[in-house]
This record gives sequence, structure tokens and C-alpha cells, in this order.
Amino acid sequence: MTVTKALPATVRSTDTTAKPPGKYRQAFPQYAAVAPFFILFAIFGAFPVLFSIWISFHDWDGIGSMTWVGLQQYSYLLGDPKFWQAIGNTLIIWVLSTVPMLLLALVIANALHNATRFRSFYRIAYFIPNVTSVVAVTLVFGSIFSNNFGLLNAFLQSVGLGKVEWLTQPWGIKIAIATIVTWRWVGYNAIIYLAGLQAISADVYEAAKVDGASSRQVFWRITVPMLRPVILFTAVTSTIGGLQIFTESRVLFGDTNNIGGPGNAGMTIVSYLYQSAFINNQFGYGAAIGWALFILIVLFSIINWRLIGGRDNERIARRAARRAERNIAAQKAAQQEDAEQTTKEAADVH
Amino acid sequence: MSIERIRTTVGHIVLMLGVVVSIFPFYWMLVMASNTTPDIFSYPPKLVIGSHLFENMGKVLDNIDFFGAMLLTLIASLGVTVLILFFDSLAAFAFAKYEFPGRNFLFGLLLATFMIPTQLSLVPQFVTLAEFGWIGSLKALIIPGAANAFGIFWMRQYAAGAIPDELISAAKVDGAGFFRQYLTVGLPVLRPGLAFLGIFTFINVWNDYLWPLIVMTDPNRLTLQVALDQLNGIYGTDYSMVMAGALMSVIPLIGVFLIGGRHFISDLAAGAMKF
Amino acid sequence: MSLSRRKFLAFGAGAAAASTGLSGCGSRSSLGGSDELSMWTWVGSVNDDLIGQAEKAIPGHDGLRLSMTRIGSNYKTKVLTSLAGKSLVPDIVAINDDVATYFPNADQFHDLFELGAKERESEFLPWKWKLGVTPDNKMMAYPMDTGPTALFYRTDVFSKAGIDIDPAAVAQLAPDWDTYIALGKKVKQAVPGSSITDNINSIFSYRMAQQPKRYMTVDGQYIGDQDHVREAFDLAIRVVKEGLSANAQDGSTDADAVVTNGKLVAFNAAVWWAQLGPKNAAPKTKGLWRVTAAPGGAGNRGGSFLGITKYCKNPEAAFAFISWLESAKNQAQAFLDPVLFPSTPASYTDSRLAAPDPFFGGQKIVEVFAESATKYPGAYFSPYDSIIGAPISAELVNVEVAGKSPDQAWNDAQHQVERELTRAGAI
Repeated sequence: MTVTKALPATVRSTDTTAKPPGKYRQAFPQYAAVAPFFILFAIFGAFPVLFSIWISFHDWDGIGSMTWVGLQQYSYLLGDPKFWQAIGNTLIIWVLSTVPMLLLALVIANALHNATRFRSFYRIAYFIPNVTSVVAVTLVFGSIFSNNFGLLNAFLQSVGLGKVEWLTQPWGIKIAIATIVTWRWVGYNAIIYLAGLQAISADVYEAAKVDGASSRQVFWRITVPMLRPVILFTAVTSTIGGLQIFTESRVLFGDTNNIGGPGNAGMTIVSYLYQSAFINNQFGYGAAIGWALFILIVLFSIINWRLIGGRDNERIARRAARRAERNIAAQKAAQQEDAEQTTKEAADVH
Repeated sequence: MSIERIRTTVGHIVLMLGVVVSIFPFYWMLVMASNTTPDIFSYPPKLVIGSHLFENMGKVLDNIDFFGAMLLTLIASLGVTVLILFFDSLAAFAFAKYEFPGRNFLFGLLLATFMIPTQLSLVPQFVTLAEFGWIGSLKALIIPGAANAFGIFWMRQYAAGAIPDELISAAKVDGAGFFRQYLTVGLPVLRPGLAFLGIFTFINVWNDYLWPLIVMTDPNRLTLQVALDQLNGIYGTDYSMVMAGALMSVIPLIGVFLIGGRHFISDLAAGAMKF
Repeated sequence: MSLSRRKFLAFGAGAAAASTGLSGCGSRSSLGGSDELSMWTWVGSVNDDLIGQAEKAIPGHDGLRLSMTRIGSNYKTKVLTSLAGKSLVPDIVAINDDVATYFPNADQFHDLFELGAKERESEFLPWKWKLGVTPDNKMMAYPMDTGPTALFYRTDVFSKAGIDIDPAAVAQLAPDWDTYIALGKKVKQAVPGSSITDNINSIFSYRMAQQPKRYMTVDGQYIGDQDHVREAFDLAIRVVKEGLSANAQDGSTDADAVVTNGKLVAFNAAVWWAQLGPKNAAPKTKGLWRVTAAPGGAGNRGGSFLGITKYCKNPEAAFAFISWLESAKNQAQAFLDPVLFPSTPASYTDSRLAAPDPFFGGQKIVEVFAESATKYPGAYFSPYDSIIGAPISAELVNVEVAGKSPDQAWNDAQHQVERELTRAGAI
């Protein structure tokens, strides 16, 4: 497991103790090399961010003139039930998709790790959903979940269960969206877990085996703790992706007054931003929602950052390994005790 | 041994079940694309591939400029990919292998930009491009994404480990300038990393939906994803036609993936390990 | 205030872009080549033969030809986004019956009075003509078709319920909404699963379409909380509670399925639904449909307009084209295909319109809709109608799909409308 450390040793073009004058000029090629990113970022990243503050202080439809409204967009936002609903929807869909997704990925990765044959076939088969466009995938799942002609309902009916109005009920909608996300990303996460598994030294497993740990114990007490940094990585990516869910909801329900379906049950933060800015043409409000989303992501990122930041990462891994050893030792002791107990009990019976 | 055997078999059964779930939607797409809409709407549903596939594909071509959209998407995806490969690897090379004043600061700044969600600046980016007169043109799809923090970060991690310092020193002794060092030492070593970043970028741009939905305002110049969504939104949706469109849109990318997929997956996983 | 935005941009992006040579040429022209007039409309809003003629050459302007784009979905969003995008804006755009929502941006369009529209006024239905004129008397939008409403019904299903399927008899049996609901229940008893609306909002919208007033008065007073709206709101809920709605929400995958699979057996709808509904989604039901006077009286929903954007390359030619396209003679042709109802009364006596329609069992459906169109009183559409209508319709969906209490839904809708209107500075 390599982790981001401080920048590694490099070819030093200058002696650090005595920097000659003109060091900036000397480094001109390097500046030129990194410049394109920073220039593009200035124009299409940083400037729009500043500009969006300006826009969010206005009432503006993007076409006519701007009217200065101060903080009005923000005060409207805080009292806007639809905005809070969008946050709630997003978080629910995020949980509904991330939890099963990561669990399933773990199971699959473990199975893949143990399987020696067909491994590259499996890897490709599991990864294909992830390279397929969300639009096409959503169209297919939309028909599977359809209330009236959906495959899922046809199946439920044929086994004697009633129809479920997936695409009109609040939970049905969220489950449908979460299913699409899960389907697309399980394979991706499984592949990453697999790489994590393969990075765990075989010695640890050998040691566990010698100590007589069962395979379930090995999984929960060694594999999972050792995978923790990788799990956190996938959790972070899923969080950032999850907070920005948009396409699934939009392709399923299109532009209606109920964006994100009946009762706005599938309306995510980005759906609401899109609707406000580009359907209702409230650019000022759209910019304000953008800031709210930004704050939310920063909040989650800070949490994640602390969890996976470089040193923490190693510490967690070390701690996990230590804990695993401790656990196995404890387990062994307990087993021994158990065994003694059983023999004792057996003796008592006799 | 036999317990091992059973475990392996169970493992394969679980994995095969997963494969079925992974692949089924594609099969279902094909079923719907090859039947008629009334067939799809009927109960019980038809579960086998029908005989109307080409008819439905023909309808797709009648309703949207499918090949035009595909060409546009291809140009945008290739354009972004080529620019990203160049700019990102160049910057990554500099960050990974050279000491220059402000390097750590600049790299930290670059990492910080990760935190800014693209959606934050959706509105102002649109307005900015509108002022440039770029809305509706390919420039709006290609230029803003021509270099990105992810690619530089990823390539830097790759370059730091892959390019031996001695090679650069040797090139320097030979009198090669920075750019020459990049071309002769950096690029050849970075090739596998570039392959991954290239496929990754290509797939992402090809599948992107929100940004082209907003900036490609000319309905005759849509990307494939937006055109597909448009096909779906037509009042009086012909469902089997929509599915034929979906099928046609995923085939090229799956083709690309099947060709370069195996390495891509390992590289992706390896990259994730580096975070 | 737009000056300050420009200044901001000039200092920011402009400077940054110019200094790096990234600034585009800033094309501010309209969409299409210099010998083309570009036009956007949605699918099914024009007669294809007429458009085909103009695609060869604009009548009277031989050097110009039309470049037509039919947009499948999210039409209004695309028009507004392209206006905000300021480049590649089409020369001519179709505008729906929410034309008043464009009035605050009337400066994005040419004043058609200045292009000679006044001379044409007498050809059109007066209420329709007025809808395209802004409060400060600029003509922003030119009339296309109208959307008179009538009752569509399936004769095969009605006869199973023992109902006399003659249009006059049906009209007599269901002159108002109460009798219509009773009729619907009778049909449902005979043929389970039958519905008289696709969803709750269609009832609400078509009831509102029969009213002489909507959400605002001409002098800007909000009346969307008054009895005429509440009555339509309650009526829609009643139809749902009676089990007569197919619960196929707009924009869902089910919206067309209920027409295709025959669940929707009667529908009080606008004339254009003939094409978009049964003709497209259920071609096999040809001959089974009839239309008759709608329960609750004449109404109008939908019907569109044409605007010439300020980006237009040749406004005179564009106006010549739209006045040709919407002449009484050509509107008559648009009725034959795709059933767009003319806004020019002279068309109603055109011999081509009086032809029997085989899809409707040889009925001359023009008579039914002409009566509705001429009896319809017209209503004032305010620029805020969309933002008022959206929460109401959203709450109706909540009642239908989530069983929300009607009073709660009404109060929530009104509360939301109040918030939106306050923000928009309308009240």
C-alpha cells in the first residue's frame, strides 16, 4: 500500500542551501509546464467561483438585466422546503446506494480473490456496467422499474406478490435511483478492493492459518481491517459522486413540474440546482444552491480528509494490523478456553 | 481438499450470479430494442430477442442525427483526451521530477481544487462561456476540461515512481532542455500511465451528460448522451426505438473497453492504491 | 444593472481570456448559414409539407431557405438557455401558450407590429391574437394554432357499458363534470380498469382551461387562491378518489402506455391530443374514437405562437414566412396533419377541414372543435402563471400518488406560490 507522502526526493537542479539568484527564471520551463492547468483553472474554475458569488447576490434570469437583491437568495434558500428536501433525498439515495454497493463489492472482491480461474473474465464482466453511459443504463432500468409494464412488477406479479408503483412512490423512486447507482459502481469498487486484497501480504494469512483462525475470522479480523484505507478511499469517491447525483433522476423523470418524480422524491441537490438555473431561469438562485452544495462537499471532504490523510492512513493500517493480531490472539485464547471448557463439561457429564 | 473444492465452487456460483446481474440489463436492452413497443407494453412481457432490431435502429436514425452526434462526441472525447494527456503529463513530469520554487505550494493548490465541485460553478461557467460566444460550440466541450487536477495528480504519482532520476541526470548531461527531457525520458516511461489516463478521460467525456446538456444548445449538434435523452423525451415515446438508441450508443464504448479493458482495470486499481 | 455585470466580466474573464488569447470571436449571429432562416419548434407543431416547401425556398424570398429543427423534449428550457447563451440563437422560435412568461424578455424579440402584423389582425381569433401582445403593446408572438377542448371517447368501451355512442347522445348524457364522473363510473363498472384521465393534473388543467380567469388579474392581483381554482383543484381530486385516473404521471414512462393499453377510455382534452395521444400511441384503435362537446363547456389549452428573435438575420423575410405559414389556407392544411386547430376562423369553412376523419369513424371532428374555439371566452395569462401553476400541479401529484390530504396540499401549494411570487416581486 503506497500512500501519498510528502513529495518524494527529486533531482535537484539547485543546491538548497545556497540558492543562486535567478532561480525563478531558471525554473521557467517547469512553470510553463504546469501553467496550462492553472490558467485554465483560473478562467474556468476560480473566476466562475468568484463570479458565482456575484451572481448569487442578484435576481437574474440569465437573459435580461440583473437586479441586486443582497442576501435574499440565501435567506430564501434557508427557508426553502424544496432545498432541504433535495438535501434529504440526496443523502438518502447516497446511503441507499453506498452501503449495499460497498458491502456487495467487498463480497465480490473476496470471492474474486479466492477464485483463481476466470479471474480476468470476471473482472471485465463486473467492470462493464461502469463504462456504460448513465443515460443508457437509466433508460433500461426505467423500463425495468416501470409501474405499468416493468419487468420487476411482472416478476412480482408472477410470483403472486402485488405490483409496486416504483416510479411514483417516494421510496420506490429512491430505491430505483439507488439501484442504478449501485449496479454501475459495485464492480468498480470490487476491483479496487481486489487490488487492496492482493496487496495484503500472504504472510499475514499464513500466520492466521497456522494459528487456526477460521475463514470468517480471517475475513472480519484481518481482511476488513487491513482494507480499511481502501474502503475509505471508495467511501470518499462514493460520497463525492453521491452528493452530485443528477443524471439518473433527470433521465427517469425528465423536466416536469415535479422534478425528480412525483412529490420530488428523486430530486437531488444538483437536480434542484439545474431546475432553478436552467429550467426556471433563476440564475441567482442556482448560484446560491451551488454554494450550498459546495459547503456540503467541503464538510464531507474535511471529515474524509481527516480519515484518510497520509499519516492517518498509515496509522490506521498499522493499528488495524495490530488489532488483527490482537484479535486473533484473543480468539485463540478464547478457543483454547472453549476447548478446555468443553472437555471439562464433557468430563463433568461422564 | 473437498471442502476447498466446495468453497471454490460456491465462490464461482456467487460470482456467476453477480455476472448475470451485471450483464442482464444489456440483454434486456437488446430484448426491448428488438421487439415492438406494444410487445414491451404487454403482459406478460416478452423475454426473448425479437426480430425488429433493424427496424427500430432505422427509426433511431430517422429521429435523431445519430451518427452526427456520435461524430461530435468522438471529436470532443478525443480532443479532451489528447489535450489532457499532453498538459497533464507535462505538468506531472515537472511536479514529480523537478525542484522549483513554489512547487509544493502549487501542488497543494492543485490538490485543493479537487474540493471544488463542478456543479458549484455550473451557472457562472455557463455565463462566462456565453460572454465568450462559445455556447453551442465544441470549444465549450473541449477547452474548459483540457487539463485537470485529477490527471496531473495521478500522473505525478505514476511518474514519481516510474521515472528513474539517473535517466534525467543523464539527459541533462547530454545538454537536453526540460522539454526534451520530457519527450525523451518522460514520455516513453509514462506510456502505460498515459494509456490509462487516456481511456479514463475518453470514457468520462463520452459519457458526460450534465455539461453538454447545458452548453450544447443547438439541437443539431448534440452529444450522444444528450441526443439519447432527447430521443427518450419525445412525446409519444416509441420505447423500442429508445432502447435501440441506447444499445447503439453503448456498443462503441464497450468495444473500446473490451480491447483495452484488462490493462485499464489493473491500472485503475493500482491508481486507487496510490491515494 | 446589466452594465455592472459586463464590467465584472470585462475585469474578470474578459481580461484573463484576452491575455491568454483564448477569447473567442464572440459570434453574436443567429443559428444557421447566411442564406438560412433557422427555426425551432417542438415535434408535431407544424405541417411537414409546408415546412418542406419553405426548406426549398421561403415564399417570396427565393434566396433564403428555412432550416427547421424539431425539438423532442424540454423545448422551453432549450429556447431560454440559448437566449441566455447569446450565440446560435435561432431566427424564429415557436412559443407555447405560456407566451406571457416570455414578456419580461420581450426585448429579445422583434416587435411584430413594426414588421406589419397589424394588417393581419382581422384574420385571427381576437382572444388568441391578444395573447401575443405585451402589456406595453408590443407584439412579441404571432398566433399559430389553438387548443380547443372536447371529449374524446372510445366507442367500443362505451357500448360495452351500454351507453349510446352517438356524439350528440354522449354530450347530452354528460353536459357537466358531475354527470361525466357518473358516466365514467358506469364505464368502469362494465370495463374494469377504465380511466377518464391519464392523471390528476389533466383534469385540473382542462378544468382551468374552461375558465375565463386564471391566476392573476390584468392589473397584477393574485387570484390563484380563489374559488375558481379551488373548484378545479377539488374536481381533479374527486376524479382520482373515484378511481377514474390512470395515475400515469406526465413525463413518466407510463404516460403513453395508458393510451396504448386501452386504460384511457375517455379524455376531456385539447384537439392536438388527437395526434399526440391515440393516433401516435394507439394506432390500432383507428375508427374507435369519437369526439363531442366537453363536459363543463368550451375551453382552450395549448395552442402556440411564433416569435422572431432579435438575433434574426432578416426580420422582414422571417415575418413574411410566418404570416404565410399561419395564413387561413395553410392553417387549414395543418389541421389535416397533424391536427393543429386553426386560429384563423376563415379556415373553419375550408372544404378540406370538413372531410370526415377515418380515425374518428368518419366523424367531422372540426365541427366539435370549431364550436369550442369560437365559444371559448379567452383568459388572461400573466408572466407568473408558470411559477404559480408549478406548485399547484406538484401538490396535486402528491395527492394522487402519496394520498396527501387535499387541504394540506392546497395550503402547501398556496404557501409555496406566495413564497415564489414574493421572491419574483410580483406581490
